[in-house]
Amino acid sequence: MGKILELKSVSAGYDDEVILKNVSLEIFDDDFIGIIGPNGGGKTTLLHVILGLIKPFKGTIEFFSDNQHERNNKIGYLPQINKIDKKFPITVEEVVLSGLIYGSDIFGRFSKLQKKQANKTLKRVGICDMRDLTIGELSGGQIQKVLLARAIVSSPRLLILDEPNTFVDNQFEGELYEILKELNNEMAIIIVSHDVGTISSYIKTIACVNRDLHYHKSNKISEEQLAIYNCPIKLITHGDVPHTVLQKHNHS
Amino acid sequence: MISELFEYKFIVNSLLAGILASISCGIIGTYIVTRRMVFLSGGITHSSFGGIGLGYYLGFNPIISAAIFGVLSALGIEFVSKRTNVREDSAIGILWSFGMAVGIMFVFLTPGYAPNLMSYLFGSILTVSTLDILLMSGLSIILILVFTLFYRIILFVSYDQEYAKTHNIAVSFINYFLIALVALTIVLNIKVVGIILVISLLTIPQSVANLFTKKFQNIIVFSIVIALIGAFMGLIISYQINIPSGASIIFSLVMIFLLAKLFLILKRSFRLSKQGD
Repeated sequence: MGKILELKSVSAGYDDEVILKNVSLEIFDDDFIGIIGPNGGGKTTLLHVILGLIKPFKGTIEFFSDNQHERNNKIGYLPQINKIDKKFPITVEEVVLSGLIYGSDIFGRFSKLQKKQANKTLKRVGICDMRDLTIGELSGGQIQKVLLARAIVSSPRLLILDEPNTFVDNQFEGELYEILKELNNEMAIIIVSHDVGTISSYIKTIACVNRDLHYHKSNKISEEQLAIYNCPIKLITHGDVPHTVLQKHNHS
Repeated sequence: MISELFEYKFIVNSLLAGILASISCGIIGTYIVTRRMVFLSGGITHSSFGGIGLGYYLGFNPIISAAIFGVLSALGIEFVSKRTNVREDSAIGILWSFGMAVGIMFVFLTPGYAPNLMSYLFGSILTVSTLDILLMSGLSIILILVFTLFYRIILFVSYDQEYAKTHNIAVSFINYFLIALVALTIVLNIKVVGIILVISLLTIPQSVANLFTKKFQNIIVFSIVIALIGAFMGLIISYQINIPSGASIIFSLVMIFLLAKLFLILKRSFRLSKQGD
């Protein structure tokens, strides 16, 4: 089990506003971490730090690699779907290929091998027949699958998903989690979600982010935890969904 | 009679200008429309009027000073909206009117009557000079090279900037570079359709193209063809009834747009009635 990255007492935010304070976190190869927390609590800020989109004000972020792979090839990222312009004239295949842009030549051309790889990934998420459609012709769930394909096409070591279950139907959600479960054999996964009820049976560990970060080395979640974090989540579950109550803990 | 017309250098020049305008506006217009930068482009267009006024006042080719003014305002808007707290659309609004104000001030400060002012506001394709043609040719060549060689990178950065950044692509450099090309395209096409109307040459062909295709590269090619048809129709009208070329070109383009829309509506209702049988 190799370490992928480590954040050491990171403080970060935008402009002059500090959103994350003193956050430390280690991520290993077979992790499947669910990140929960209230809106504005710093979930997206944390992702942006890990993705290198913002530099921390304080603290360090270190990447570890077992071979000479480039760091940026190693993180797959699925942004929130509402950040995507659904009318943009781009085809499904082009979106997925953009996940390989790092490995293309300076002009952004792709080899046959890369196109094959894109096709294989489209098959894997089950939308191979939509390859030549533009994204405007797809449903919300289908767009999510395209974005997922783009995120994993480069076989990253770490996959980051930002609220992948917004604006999608329950059927897609189920499919998504099954795909993620399978992907977890190949890569570490971090998923930000407000819907803890569904993800808790798939994830291995939970990190609560509300300015600071509290890391639970289990997938159990307590009501107190939800109360402390004031998390806007669905708590309705059906039948045999496993649930366990965690012990109380304090944030210092 | 046609061969007689071609003997006039200004007719040849205006035809060339129409072709070159279609190429540059077809390419850059597609970028503007898909990136939703139409308002920003309006701002660049009008602020470049400051450069035209300055050119008049200092007594050199207004297109050169407009190009400098336009590129600087474009880079300024991009910088202000990304790096400061000012809202992008407010920044555009300020530069838009500031450029017009500066332009008017210089025009009125210039002794004597400003003879070609109308041609800069509404376009006068028949007064396009050989220098204008050379500049427009250079621009078209640069645009064709940039958009074919770097097509995928431009497409990916336009589609999802944040994602491109996570892949270590020089997103801000690409944005600055392309917005400078947007400004140059706008300024060099002012002679053809004028400041007030140039935005339509960057949006109407693309809107027509987008009715028939949803792919980026197809929109570029279709837009160029549609702009060409509009430019030639407009030129003929302009020549026949002696009105500014800008107005007649835009009028032709809107007619094409309406016809295309009508065609699609008829096609759909025809298909529906067929299904009904």
